[in-house]
This record gives sequence, C-alpha cells and structure tokens, in this order.
Amino acid sequence: MAKDDNTPFAIRNYEAETLRKALRKMYLIRFFEEGAEDSYMRGLIHGTMHLSIGQEASAVASCLSLTDEDKITSTHRGHGHCIGKGAEVGRMFAEFFGKEEGYCHGRGGSMHIADVTKGNLGANGIVGGGIPIAVGAALTAKQLGTGAVTVCFFGDGANNEGAFHEALNMATVWQLPVVFVCENNKYGMSTSTERSTAVKNISERAAAYRMPGRTVDGNDFSAVAEAVSEAVDRARRGEGPSLVENLTYRWRGHSKSDRNRYRTKEEIDAWIARDPILRFRDELMAHGIIDVDAAEGIEAAARQEVEEGIAFAKGGTAPSVTEVTRYVHAEARP
Amino acid sequence: MATEVILPKVDMDMESGLVSVWHVAAGSSVSKGDALFDIETDKAAMEIEAPASGILAHVIAPEGTKVPVGSAVAWIYAENETIPEAAPGEAAQATDVAAPPAAAPGATCTKVAEAAEPRPADTRPEQPSGSVETDEPRPRATPAARAAARTAGLDLARLVGSGPQGRIQSDDVAREIEARERPAPAVETPSRQPAPEAPAAPVSWTERPGALAVTRRKGQGSGAPVVLVHGFAADATGWAPMEKALGNAREIIRIDLACHGRSPLKRIESFAAFARLAVQAFDDLNLDGAHLVGHSLGGAVAMSIADIRPRAMRSLGLIAPAGLGPEIDGETLLGIARASRAESLAPWLKRLAADPEAISWDFAQAAMLSRMDEEMRAAQRDLADRLFPDGTQGFDLSAALGRVEVPLRVIWGKQDSILPWRHALRAPDHASLTLLDKVGHIPHIERPQACAKALGELFVIAEASSRG
Amino acid sequence: MNAPTRHPEVQSRELSYAEAIREAMGLALARDERVILMGEDIGVYGGAFQVTGDLVERFGPDRVRDTPISELGGAGVAVGAALTGLRPIFEFQFSDFATLAMEQIVNQAAKMRYMLGGEASVPVVFRMPSGSGTGAAAQHSQSFEAWFGHVPGLKVVQPSTPEDAKGLLLAALEDPDPVVIFEHKLLYKMKGHVPEGWYTTPIGKAAVRRTGRDLTIVASAIMVHRALAAAETLAAEGIDVEVIDLRSVRPIDRETIIASVRKTGRLICVYEGVRTLGVGAEISAMIAESDAFDYLDAPILRLGGAEAPIPYNPDLEKAAVPQTPDIETAARRLVRKEV
Repeated sequence: MAKDDNTPFAIRNYEAETLRKALRKMYLIRFFEEGAEDSYMRGLIHGTMHLSIGQEASAVASCLSLTDEDKITSTHRGHGHCIGKGAEVGRMFAEFFGKEEGYCHGRGGSMHIADVTKGNLGANGIVGGGIPIAVGAALTAKQLGTGAVTVCFFGDGANNEGAFHEALNMATVWQLPVVFVCENNKYGMSTSTERSTAVKNISERAAAYRMPGRTVDGNDFSAVAEAVSEAVDRARRGEGPSLVENLTYRWRGHSKSDRNRYRTKEEIDAWIARDPILRFRDELMAHGIIDVDAAEGIEAAARQEVEEGIAFAKGGTAPSVTEVTRYVHAEARP
Repeated sequence: MATEVILPKVDMDMESGLVSVWHVAAGSSVSKGDALFDIETDKAAMEIEAPASGILAHVIAPEGTKVPVGSAVAWIYAENETIPEAAPGEAAQATDVAAPPAAAPGATCTKVAEAAEPRPADTRPEQPSGSVETDEPRPRATPAARAAARTAGLDLARLVGSGPQGRIQSDDVAREIEARERPAPAVETPSRQPAPEAPAAPVSWTERPGALAVTRRKGQGSGAPVVLVHGFAADATGWAPMEKALGNAREIIRIDLACHGRSPLKRIESFAAFARLAVQAFDDLNLDGAHLVGHSLGGAVAMSIADIRPRAMRSLGLIAPAGLGPEIDGETLLGIARASRAESLAPWLKRLAADPEAISWDFAQAAMLSRMDEEMRAAQRDLADRLFPDGTQGFDLSAALGRVEVPLRVIWGKQDSILPWRHALRAPDHASLTLLDKVGHIPHIERPQACAKALGELFVIAEASSRG
Repeated sequence: MNAPTRHPEVQSRELSYAEAIREAMGLALARDERVILMGEDIGVYGGAFQVTGDLVERFGPDRVRDTPISELGGAGVAVGAALTGLRPIFEFQFSDFATLAMEQIVNQAAKMRYMLGGEASVPVVFRMPSGSGTGAAAQHSQSFEAWFGHVPGLKVVQPSTPEDAKGLLLAALEDPDPVVIFEHKLLYKMKGHVPEGWYTTPIGKAAVRRTGRDLTIVASAIMVHRALAAAETLAAEGIDVEVIDLRSVRPIDRETIIASVRKTGRLICVYEGVRTLGVGAEISAMIAESDAFDYLDAPILRLGGAEAPIPYNPDLEKAAVPQTPDIETAARRLVRKEV
C-alpha cells in the first residue's frame, strides 16, 4: 500500500481522480433526490418515491471497485445505486417525469430506474425481490466464466424475507461471486430492526450461510469501500459470497406518505450531523486530494448537472398512449 | 282524497299487464284487501287487492285493457268524499294548461287516459291501442336465429322456437323460411303438420254460449273438496278410475275445459284466455278452499288458477302438467283430435300409456263415443293450433308454479312420451315429486291407486299445515 | 390444422411425452452452452416424474443443477440468470409449488422487460407438472393455467401430445420472454409420434384435432383426449364434433376458435382448472365479443374443475374434473336443445 496505515483505505487504494468522481456522485445523488422531491412537491412527478438522502456513502463506495461488466441489483430506495453505477441524472429525471427519454421510456418510474448497459439490473418494488436475481446473475458469471461480480443491495427490512434465506444459502452452496450489501437504515418503514430482527447485527446472519459477515459505519465512505471491495475481490477470486452491513440512516421518511411518527427529531438530527458527504469531503481535504475551491467546484458542477437534468426531462417526449402494451414482450425481429 | 289504483308490477320483466276481470263494479263499495281486479301478463295472472276502502269510481281501464305498469286503472274515494265528474287524470287533460286540480296524479295518469279509451265491455284484449303495442317483450332467440331472421326479413315475434323456453334457434328460422317459400297446401300450415295422411275437409264450427260445465260428487267427510281439471281431448269422465281410488271422503268437483266434454265450444285466442274461462268456473264454485288437481293441459290450467286464486287453494296436485317446457308430442295430440272413429283413435291413444296393451279396444271405443261431436273435434284442433303451435308448448307456467306457496305435488310417468318428465324438475324446492316407473302420460288411468295415494297424502299434509 | 414448423429432414417415431420433453432439453443443452436446467431433484434422481432422466450424466451437475428446496429463491436465481445471459429451464416438482415462487414469476420475470422499458430480457422457461388424477390430493393436483394466463408478460402453454411437448419447449427456449409450460402429469407416459431433431411448435396457435360441423369443443391438455374420445362416441350418435386443442393459454388463438364457432354455432370449453374465472370464461367472452356471436345458435357451455380443492378419494377426484361422459352429456344436451 502506498500510504501509511492511519490513512483511510479509500485514500490509500484509489486514484485521486476516482475519489473526486466519487464525491461528485455523492453530491449528484443528494441534489438529484432534492430535485426530485422539489419536482414532486411542484406536481411535476406523480406516484411516490423513496429517498436515500443520508445514505450516499453506502451507494457510491459499494460500487467503487465495480466495472460496467459487474452487476448490481437495487431496491426501491435505489436512486443512489443507480447513480453510483454510472447512470446519467438527465435520463433518470426523464424517467421520473414519465418521458420516452427516461431509462425505462416512462414505463418504470422511480422504483424501476436502471441503466442496464452499466450493469444495473434494476431497482425493485418488492422488498427482497432482487436478492435471488443477484444470485442468478452470479450464477451466469460463474457458469459462463465472465469474471463478473454482482453486488446485491438490500435493506434491513429484506433480511427478514424468505427470499433472503433461500438466496444466501444457494450463493454459498454454489460458491457464487456475489456480495450482499445490506444498507441498514434502522427501519423497515416504521418498524425498527430491534423490533423486527432476532439478531443485533444483520451481518451475524452470515454465519448461518457459512460466508464472511461484517458490519461497518455506512456513513464512512472509506469503511464501506474497504469492506465491499474486499468482498468483491474475494468473489472475483472464486471464493464465494460475503455479507457486508452498512449502518446508515435515511434523513427523509420512508416515502412521501411518511408522517414520521416512529423517530425522534433528536435521532434524525444526530444522523444529519454525521452527513456522509461532508465527512468524505473533509477527509479528501484533510488528505490533500481536494482543496476548498475544488470541493465547491465539485458541488457546483453536481448542482448544475442536476438542474440541466431537470430541464432535459421537462423537455422530454410523452409516450404515446397507443403504446401502452409496448415492451410487454420482445418486439418482433425484422 | 282519492286513492289511485294502479296496475302493479308483479313480474320482474313485466312492462304492461292486461286487466282481465273487475271483481267490483264502479260505484260499489270496497274494503281494503278485497279482491279488486285480475291482471294477466305474458307469464302470470294475478289477483290485485284494493289498496283502500271506499267507493270504486273512474274505472278507466275496463276489462280487456292493456295498461303500462304503474299506470292508474281506477280510483277509490272515501265514503263521505264527493266523487268528481271526471277522473283526476282526465281532469288534468281537459284543463290542459290550466292549473291542475289538487288531486291530479300528474303525467303518468295522463298517459293512461290516452291509452285507456273507453271501450265496450267485450272488447278483445288482443287489440290494444297503438301506444302500448310496443311493450311486447323481445322474443327469445339465439344470435344465429336473429341474424338469419334479419337476413331473411323475418319477424321473430311470429315464430315459436323449439329450444328451451321456446327459444328460437336457427333451424326454426330455416323451417319458417322454407315454409314461406313452399306453396301453402289448402288446409294446414306445412311447418305444423307434416304430410297429413288424409287431410280432413275443413270443418266449420260455431261458438256456443254458456259457462264451463261442472259436475260434482258429494263426499262424506269434512275435508276440503277436490277440484279436478282434465287434459287436452279428455273430459271429466277420464277421472273415474282415480276417483274410485280416492274414495268418497271428500267432495269431488270436475271442471270440463272449454271445447271439451259438456262445456261449450269457444274460440280461444291464447292460453290466458283459455285459462280465464276455467278461473271463472272456479270462482263460480265459490269455494272456501279446495285441493286442485290437474292433468296435462289441465295441469297448466290448474297452475294458472292456483296462481291467481292463492287464497282459495289448500293444495295443488299436478299430473304430467303442461306449461313447464316447450316439448310436447303435438303429433299425437292432433292425431287424437282428428280421429273420427275408434280405428284411427286407438293407435294415438296407445301412445299415451307406457304399455300400449293397456289401451284396449273397448277403451278406445268408449273414448270415441264421447268424441262423436265433429264440431267439438274441430274446435279442439283449432285449440291445439293456438296452444301448441308447431308442436310446441307456446305458454310457460314455470314462473307461476314458482309462486305457488301451498303444498304441491307433481306426479309424472317416467315413460311419458307426450310431455317429458324432466319438466317436473322445474317445480319449486318445496314441491314433492312422485315419478312413476313404467308409466306413460296418463298415470291417473294407468296407476290410479298410486296417484290417489300420492294425492291423498298431499291433501292430509296440506290440511295439517293449514291448521297449524 | 396447424402443422408445426419443421426442418425438412426431420423423421418421426414414437416417444412418450416425458421422453419428448427430455429429448428437447437434451437437444437444447447440446446446442447452446447458455442453456441450463434447474430444479429440485432433477439430477441423479432424474426429476420427480423422471423427465430430466439421465441428462445429468450427459451434461454434468453444473448444467443440470439440483437446487435446494427453495422454490422462490430458485425461481429468482433462474430469473437473474436469464436476465444476464443464461437460458434456464426451471422445473417445479409440482405446479402447486409455484405458488411459493409467484413473486419471482409474476412480479419479476413477467414485468422486467416492461418495467425497464424494453431494455432487459428474461428468457426463462418454467416447467410445471400439473393436473389431477394421481391421487396426490389438494396440494399436488392443481391446474393454474388461468392464474398465469392472467399475467401480461408471460406466455403460457399446455401441450397435449408428445410432439407438442417437445415442439413447445423448444419454441419456449427460442422465445426471448418468460414462458410457463404446464405439463399434465397423466400425459407423461402417453406415447406418440415425435419428429426427430430440432423443431418448434408455434406458441399462440391452437390445433384443430378433429373437424366437425355440429359443435366446437375447445379443450386443453388431457381434456383434449377426453374431448376426442367423447367426439368418437358422439359421432356414432350423429353428432359431429370439432375438437380444438388450445395449446396456448396466453396468447390465445382467437382466429382458429372464432372460425370454428362461426362454422358450428355451438361451443363447449373443457378445461381442468376451476370452472369459475377460468380459461373457459375467457374463451366464452372472446366469442361473445367476436363476430362469431352472430353465429351462435346455443348458449356457450363451460366444463371445468369443481369449486373445490382436488379431493383424495379416487371417485371424488374424478368427479372434481370433467371426464369423457361429462363432455358427451353436455354435447348431447346442447345439440338436442336441452340447454
């Protein structure tokens, strides 16, 4: 390793440019979701959305060591994963606005945004729905020898679904290249992990599936990057799956219908004080990767990109209502 | 204030009804709940009770008038109330744009006043005024039959279907088209009568005055009397074997149907008109309560009487009744009606019984003796043509049967080749069903003891339940 | 008659329905490395109904992959594998167990292409041994064609012959979208001519198995054979029945059925799934909405499964689904104007 042992893992192991891009992605996620929330309140977006503001480190750091060949499966709280895996905010906004230019041509919306070409197999409206799919993607990689690794994002709520058990068991039985990343934001909707989960840390579950399990501070970019990239490397070496638990927090409610009756203001404020973006920015400045001007420049560029994205989406094309059944099946090949 | 008497909706898809009989004359007093008038629809006949007590006046729908559901037919005025010159509706019409009198029932009434022009008492009900003619329900027909009729420019209302409940199917239309295209023979409609062996010369007959003939045999017990209604081409004498089996505990009353036995010959336009005569005869008996038993066509008539006079019923016994499905062996009916001597009658009579040997030559000769009146036979042929056009039962009493609330028993021979016994399955849930094996269409002649036993049980149950 | 599309050199010989399916899977495994089989006990055991048989010996345990008893997870793995480039054929031991995997089949496989705006493809095949008649009672005998047929994004087929069992499976494999195949357990041992080599039976095309003038019977799976047996008996009575093998529940072959009903004017739908809200309801409604309506000369009848779970007692079990005499009786009643 290039730097001494007190230097955070990310700083030691990644190029400065990679780290600056990571910070920019974190800002993009934050501003994208704030922009989406604003558009929602202005009535430009219908439906609901699940915001991950406060969880940006987990999304970006978990994808840090992945290539476009590697896959992720995401969750209903998936905007961060989508940007983390390389999607453009303009096409994401276009999807939000229900436009043809959106990633899903307006058919998917917030809960299904994905840039498949970047290896994102999709957000998922079903809690735990993506876990077996991630294992399937890993089976493909192993069967065809592609060398790809799949990172499977899920929340603390999903760890109590049967699909979690079945999928993690199979991943080990078949020694598949998959990393299960649990973003534990403490609540499945309103029900806390204390009230819903038999173990203290979800990573303890890994023992039941004979795979390594590790719990890290999910708001610490470098800690997440270290745990997940080690697991990815392990998977790539053919040594099988791992479970990483990122302890984090969503600042906003579960969805737009949340009246926040299950959390205290003090708890929320305490987590806001641990803003993962500011922590990562300060870390980069402390290690001389960026200075204040550069940090402000990255923030302003991200803000600009989000504004342009919203403008792009507003100018998009509405799908033709005559095409309501388009994309149900593959279109006839010429 | 006058109480409006309306023609009520008594059947689900009913749009209009025929006022058939007024039980109370205009100007007479009536008590609330009294029988006021009878109505007939395509499917039902029903007695309507007076909605109030007072003097009946302004009967704007005389007997034979077809009236839309919900329209006024008359008014009842309180005993001390002044009866105005004109009915409230007519007043409204006469005053036109002037302020209507307080009692004016409004638009509905005006409509009735238009429809119900005063007409002589004997006006034929089948000639309603133009405004109500459109109330005819659509005929029951399959899409294919409708399409075929449309193409051929055929009016489905003129056809009788061979399907369940008279449903017109495409072959019915095809037959009609074929019949239209074929030159009609002198006597019979070809579609109705396949190649008559020796077409009888058309016989003219004239109507005879008078009410239906009723004969009675006194009983010794105190039970309610048994009223018997015979089937087509039969008469009261046909009950003899079963009467013997029934014993003499109860009075037995037999009604001869129109054009049958000792009853007068009448021109019958419809089953409703036919049944109305029997209802009249039943009314004239003025019975407090009776066990009504009918066979075949008489069974259908019995259902009609039971439907319209429920209060006079103790029980209803039906032996192979007509009116519960379209199928009927019309050939046999016509064969019997046509036969002018025992030689031609016997083969048809044999079709009535499960065992043809049961119909002896003596039986046929005796039957012919009661059928020597050539005019009566002609009247019966015309009747059969009206009631069973194209060998199909053109009337359906299953709804009426469904409304029967008194104890009910249906007796049927499983080898009945005139009316299929499975029509018995149309009986309502509370009916009891007696199916007799190796018995044909005339159980009361083939197995009089079995019929009498089944009916005897019915009478006892009915009287026990009416006491309870 | 809709002949399967065949390669010109194909030969025909007798195989059982199960053998025909196995042959199709063997051809597919040999032809395309991306094809894998997944399911419970499909390896050395040979499958609960011996359909996969010896394929594990020929292609090894990685390509003929035993899964844990994890229907939901297993189906989801198959979906994920299909989404990323494999062409999995997933066998449920009994179609009943697919209820455990409804999430992955209905929410994921069926909708993935649509939710992602056409940017993803899930070419997975779900094989489901289905139907009653084996004495396995309520949880091993159900017929769920209508359930899955109700889901846009799925294709649902029900082969009734060994030839179609192979041809429809190969067509399903060639299809870029998820296909659910209901294989009737009582048909597995049925023998019939099966062409050699690779051929496909088009999904969405019904087959006229017998032509007739008086009455159309649309039947599926084993009901096709019961309808054909009934048609033989009825022919002796002068009732000339046309029997259509539905083959595909989704998409449904409107043209063939409508043309037949236009000709005969009478329709009976015979299917093993529960009668209410079943495949027959869809066909009846389709006819009522079509221009065959004007040709209907009798009410449409449906013969389907009883409104009850499949019972254990053999007589009850038979009574719970249409049998040949039931079809004969219904046809007679219809033609003789008793209904």
